[in-house]
Parts: sequence; structure tokens; C-alpha cells
Amino acid sequence: MSAPRNVIDVSDMPHHTFDVGEPVWWGNWGLLAIETTMFGILVATYFYLRQNYQLWPPPLTSSPQPFDSLPDLTAATANVFVLLLSCVPMILADRAARRGDRRTVQIALVLCLAFGVAAMVLRGYEFRAVKFRWDANAYGSIVWFTLGMHAAHLLTVTLEAFLLTLWVFLRKFDMKHRVDITVVAVYWYWVAAVWLPLYAMLYFVPRFG
Amino acid sequence: MAEKHTEEEKTLLARNPALARRRVQTDRRELDEAADGRELARTWAKVHGLYGWLTNTEHKVIATRYIVTAFIFFLLGGVEAALMRMQLARPESHILNPDFYNQIFTMHGTTMMFLFAVPIMEGMGLYLVPLMIGTRNVAFPRMNAYGYFTFLIGGIFLYTGFFLHVGPDTGWFSYVPLAGPGYAPGKRVDIWAQMITFTEIAALVGAVEIVVTVFKQRAVGMSLNRVPLFVWAQVITAFMIIFAMPAVMLASSFLASDRLIDTHFFNPAEGGDALLYQHVFWFFGHPEVYIIFIPALGFVSAIIVAFARRKIFGYTAMVLALIATAFLGFGLWVHHMFATPLPQLGQSFFTGASMMIAIPSGVQIFCWLATLWGGKLRLKTPLLFVLGFVAIFVLGGLTGVMLASVPLDLQIHDTYFVVAHLHYVLIGGAVFPLFGAFYYWMPKFTGRMLSERAGRWNFWLMFVGFNLVFFPMHQLGLKGMTRRIYTYLPQTGWGDLNLTASVGALVLTAGVAVFIFNFLWARRRGEVAGDNPWHADGLEWATTSPPPDYNFAYLPVVQGRYALWEAKEDAPVVVGLKTDCREVLVTTVLDAEPGHVYQLPGPSIWPFALALATAVAFTFGIFTPYAFAVGAVCAFAAFAGWFFSNPNSENAEAKAATPKETTTKRERTGRIAVEGEA
Repeated sequence: MSAPRNVIDVSDMPHHTFDVGEPVWWGNWGLLAIETTMFGILVATYFYLRQNYQLWPPPLTSSPQPFDSLPDLTAATANVFVLLLSCVPMILADRAARRGDRRTVQIALVLCLAFGVAAMVLRGYEFRAVKFRWDANAYGSIVWFTLGMHAAHLLTVTLEAFLLTLWVFLRKFDMKHRVDITVVAVYWYWVAAVWLPLYAMLYFVPRFG
Repeated sequence: MAEKHTEEEKTLLARNPALARRRVQTDRRELDEAADGRELARTWAKVHGLYGWLTNTEHKVIATRYIVTAFIFFLLGGVEAALMRMQLARPESHILNPDFYNQIFTMHGTTMMFLFAVPIMEGMGLYLVPLMIGTRNVAFPRMNAYGYFTFLIGGIFLYTGFFLHVGPDTGWFSYVPLAGPGYAPGKRVDIWAQMITFTEIAALVGAVEIVVTVFKQRAVGMSLNRVPLFVWAQVITAFMIIFAMPAVMLASSFLASDRLIDTHFFNPAEGGDALLYQHVFWFFGHPEVYIIFIPALGFVSAIIVAFARRKIFGYTAMVLALIATAFLGFGLWVHHMFATPLPQLGQSFFTGASMMIAIPSGVQIFCWLATLWGGKLRLKTPLLFVLGFVAIFVLGGLTGVMLASVPLDLQIHDTYFVVAHLHYVLIGGAVFPLFGAFYYWMPKFTGRMLSERAGRWNFWLMFVGFNLVFFPMHQLGLKGMTRRIYTYLPQTGWGDLNLTASVGALVLTAGVAVFIFNFLWARRRGEVAGDNPWHADGLEWATTSPPPDYNFAYLPVVQGRYALWEAKEDAPVVVGLKTDCREVLVTTVLDAEPGHVYQLPGPSIWPFALALATAVAFTFGIFTPYAFAVGAVCAFAAFAGWFFSNPNSENAEAKAATPKETTTKRERTGRIAVEGEA
């Protein structure tokens, strides 16, 4: 034993907080900053390649519909609504996780997964609605790449939500994983939000740009 | 307990009102440091053996691996450089054939940029930052381990290719169309492109790690205006990595997909654009220079403060200059492309931006000079390296201002003038401070001092050798010798200067060899360093050398910008963190007020598993795109395993043997379960 020292006792401090208090919330924003930059550079690439074309997308020269090479809007627009609506159950899960309401979290997360799967199926149709394959020309390459990168995030966030859903059904509804739910919610909102400018670019630049 | 406050504590509370606002009470207590240390040592103990190696998540261990691995790559890159100097020592030499020479210079640049410079700077950061800000580990210890394994696999992948004679041969920036499917058949460039992916994943992981650790785990009282300049430099670098590395990931992914699945990003015949590659690559490539160089500025500031024995002149100006350099660094990339058809307005803009970078650099140089001017200098080896840095870096900066002007750049583009410039900037700006940092922090890393006499030999050999190698290259460039030629004719008159450079390479090599011998000697026989051999100011010197696995027995409380110099006689420490699990204190971003306590995870095999899954995707991905699907499935499996794995935060041994003891321990520290109160 030594002489008494001045101390700051932190033993009664809480174990978790939400949002800016949590390291994992910051870590998630680090990932999102990286990926937002990535999408920003993809947008720049899209417009850079656009300069090389008189007509964007280039006209089709063969059947089924000669000359009409615009990407079809149906699946893509439906997906905008699916992604925006998917935020509703995620907001519910987010809020329920904060107040510790396990039942609501379970229901809301399952709904989110359903929306996530629906969005991925629609994404499959979106790929088919692009009139060029990735290896047809630079237009096809950048459109497929952008759709694919966003699909990769859609898949990642859905799988992350899936793991958390498993956890809240099978394991404890503990504070650490309640924080995780609010963090994955941020990622989810981001995936939906980042799609809006990408959607506008991929589908309306060819029409009005 | 307010009535018990001593004068010291009242001053502390007055100087940091945040503490008072949060009613963080200081208290007086008798502490049994030895017993708590023993308990912490047991909790944070390393697991031995191969499994222990694969599962370790301690920041000092991971960082040491980064530093050692990157240093080995530095030596490999150095051997490649030596081979080039052998080849170029005289005209019409045939030691290396042209194809091998192409591989050698590509491997040299790639190794030095991606496998040495960035990882070793991050490694130094990952080792020192948690110590300097007074915490026990980084914010995401398992991600940290994952980052190292991806870096290691990427490096091994590149060198496996090289030793199998499929080393990349298109230069370290692999311009298309040369690197595209039309002109570079085979797997060489694919290996290069995927190596980029591996190393960039590692760099990004490390960057997020450093940002979050510094934002959330600083010692109580270390508000942002008290953060050491080295830590500022690391955070700013981390932000640059976050915004720059995605560009090179895209550049290499576009290149790989053009080569593998026939996309047309860079194929002009199908609407693609070869210049697009240069834009995307240099949008990363120029900030990369600062990513390498800004941590070195952090070394320099730390060393100057310690050896001038005084506070830095213009702390705020220094921090703002670092931030300004980082911002401007993103607006310069086109000056690498002056030889391409660009709009004149764009050229002028980038010329202006490039010259502007001299302003924040100048601010820093003057602040350092002002600090040195009034200080009582102790001319030890670390300071010698810093002074060497100032001399060399100013020369490199001057040629940089020259190259920023378009007409001159057009004349000497792709000549040895550029080679001289970039080595003056990178070796002068990063390697010299790095060696200074080795001499400065090696006592902390190993517990023993490097020899001062050998240090002087080391410095002078490197300084003279460096200038012998690279100064003649300025003139070679002006005389028209272009980069990347494997030989030249005697009539060019380049022979003498090249021979000088090659002799210089020998001297430089001798300098590095002295360092290695000094290190090996000091490990065994060096003078025992003690906690703070330089009487320096940073918190890293407050713990033992080498630091224990848990860094600090009690987390420190910081009372000034120069933690140890400004610590009051009876400075408080943080108590109440559990000693039987890996607990750290989380503080607020701006004022570093205590926020909550947080359990960090312990050892795990899953980071290694995830790194292997990543490796499946990107190594087999050079043969078939299906590897990415397989890799994604493996990655998900590893991720699920990681997610459901035991956090391993508690001392496994103690938990299994005496479960009762854990509970009493909790009672002893008076922990109240307040999980719900957020």
C-alpha cells in the first residue's frame, strides 16, 4: 500500500450510450465516409465517360427495340419506394432498441429483412432493364458497376441485419446488441439515401442530361 | 466530497470546467498498484504459440508486426533499388535484362509505396497513439488484427508472383493502356491490382481505428487543444486515407475488371477513356504523398519538442497547417498529368494549388525553426535525423515548386529530375524522420537505448549516401535521361553521374546496415532505458519501457498540452475500471470528459478467418470472377462466426478457475449495474 492518491472513480459509469457516445457508431460512420467517397468517385466517373458520347446511352442497332436504349424505369422506381419504405420498420427497430422493447425489435427487423430481400430481387430486374451488358461498352460498364456496388451494400446491410435478427431471437437482448441495432439502422438509412442520387443519375441523366 | 478538494484539484476543475460540469469527483484513496498490476497483467496476458499469434489483438503486438513486416519490405525494396543502381552504374550494362528490369522498378515502387511507407507509418501510429492518449488498446482490436493479416497476405501475394517470374512490370502506377488487357497479357498486372486491394483494405481499417480511438478513448482532460501534434498528424492522415484510398480501390477494380471480365472503362474503342485511369489514380496518388509525409511531420514535432526542451512554437498554427496541407493535397492531382491534353484553365488552377501547398509547409518549417531557436538543443541522433530532414525536404520542396509550373514540367516530365524530386520528398520527408523516430521511440519499444555512436554513423552514412545517389539525378534529368530505361549508350555522357549515384547507393546501404546492427546489438546489450530516457513530455513515457500489455495500471488524467511536463504534483488517476476484464474508459470527442466504460474484446481467430476469406476472393479472383462469389460466402461465414464468438474480454483462466472471485472483485470496485441508463 502506498500513500493516498487523488483518484477519479469511474466504477459507477454506464456501460453503453447511444450515437456519438459509442465508438462503434463512429466506426460505422468511418465505413460510410469511405463508401460515400467511393460512390462520389463513381458519379464523377459516370459523367467523365458521358463526355465521350454524343448520345447517352448509345443507340441500339438491333432488335428487340432498335434505337430505344434508355434503361427501363419500372423496377428502378419501384425499388426507390421499397428502399424508402424499408426505413419505416428500421426506424421502429431503432427506437424500440433504444427503449428496450424486444418484441417490437423482433417484428420490425423481420420486416426489414423482407424489404431487403424485395429490394435485391428488384435490383435483379434493374440489371435486366439496362439495355447493354457490362462488356458491351463503357456506358454498360459504369452502369453495371454502379448498380453492382450499391447491390453489394444492400446485400451487406441485409446480412448484417439478419445476424442481429438471429441474435435478438436466439440470444440475450443485451445493451451491446441494442446499440448495434441503432448502428446498423444508420447504415440502412445510408443505403436507402445514397440510392436517391444514384437513381436520379442512372435513370434521368440519359433522359434529360 | 467537494469539501475535500485540495488546491490542486480545485485548479484542475477550474481549468477544465467540463470536469466540474459532469461532477467528476476526485477522491483520495490508497491504491495497491502492485496487486492491480498483477491482476491486469493476468487479464491482458498474451496467449503463446501459433494459435496465440493468430488470435492476438493487442495494439502493440499488431503494430510491431506492421513495423517489422513493413521494414522487411523496405529491405526488399532496397535490394531492388540496389539492383537498379548496379545495372545503371555504367552504360550498356547487361546484368539485368530489360524484362527483369521492368519488374524490378515496378516492384521497387510498389513495395516502397504500398508495402513499406503507408503501413509503417500506420504501424507507428497504432503503437504510439493509444499510449500517447492514455488508453489500453485501440477501439476495435479485432479489426486491427484483420487489417494486419490482409496487408501481410497482399505483400506475400505480390512477392509470390515476383518470385514465380510473374511480377508486375508496368510501373508502380500501372498506366493504361500499357497495363490494360491489350498490352499486358498474363497475370502480372492482375497481381498488382489485387495487391492494391489488400493493402488498401488494411490502410482503411487502420485509419478508422485511429480516428475512433483518438476521438473516443483519450485520457480524461485531454481536450482537442491538448492532443499531441503526433496524434493530430495521425488523425489527419487517417482522414486523408478515408477520402483518398477509395479512389485507388476503384482505379484498380476498374483495371482488374477491364482485364478480367471485359468491361471498357479504359478502352477508347468502346467509349472508355485511358485518361480516366490517371485521374482516378492520382486523385489517390497525390494525397498518398501526404499520407506518407504527414505522420513524419508528427515525428518531427515530437522529436523537436523533446530535444529542444521547450513547448512547440505555434501549436495552433501547426495543427491548422497540417489540416490545410491535407485539404490542399486533394486539389493537386492533375499536376501529375501536365503532359496530357488538359484545358489550360485547369492547368493554371492546379499550378496555383500546387504552389499553395508551400504555404502550410512553410508555416511548419518556420514554427520548428522558432522552436529550435529558443531551445537548449541536445544534439542526439533523433534530432540529427530531423535536421537532415529539414535540409533534404527543403531541397525536395524547391524542385516541387519547379515541377508545379507547366512549361518546366513538360520539359522534364518522366525524366530523372522527377525521380530526384520524389526521392528528396519521400526519403527526406518520410524516411529520415522515420529513422529519427526509431532512435527516439526504440527505448520505449524494446526497453533499451540504441547506441548513440552507431547512430551518428548511421545518420551521416545515410545523409551523405542519399545526397550522392539522388543529387546527380537532377542533372541527369536535365540532360535528358528518362525514367525506367534499363540501359543507355556511352555517347549520352550520363555515365559518370550514374556511377556517382551507384556509389552513393553503396554508402546509403551501409547506413541502413549500421541501423540493423545497432538494433540487433541494442536488443541484447543496449543501455537499459527506463521509463523516460529523454525526459520527454508525452504520456507514452509515463509507463514502463516496454509498456505492459495493459499499457497503464491506472489511466492517467491530463492537465496540460505537455502531459508529463505539466502534470501537477498530485495529479489524479482513473480508478474503478475492472481489472478482471479488458475495460477502457470512453470519453467525449471535444473535451475528453468521461462518458462510459467499455469492454474491449479479447483474442479471436475470426479476424484471421475473415482475412483468409478476403484472400480467397482476391487471389483466385485473378483467374475467375466466380472466386468473388465463393469469397463472399466464406467472408459471410467468417463474419457470422465473428459476430457470435465469445468476446473473450475477461481473463479466461481466472473465470474458469475461480468464478466466485470475479464477483467479489466487482463488489470491491463498487460496480453498479446501470446498463439501462443511456
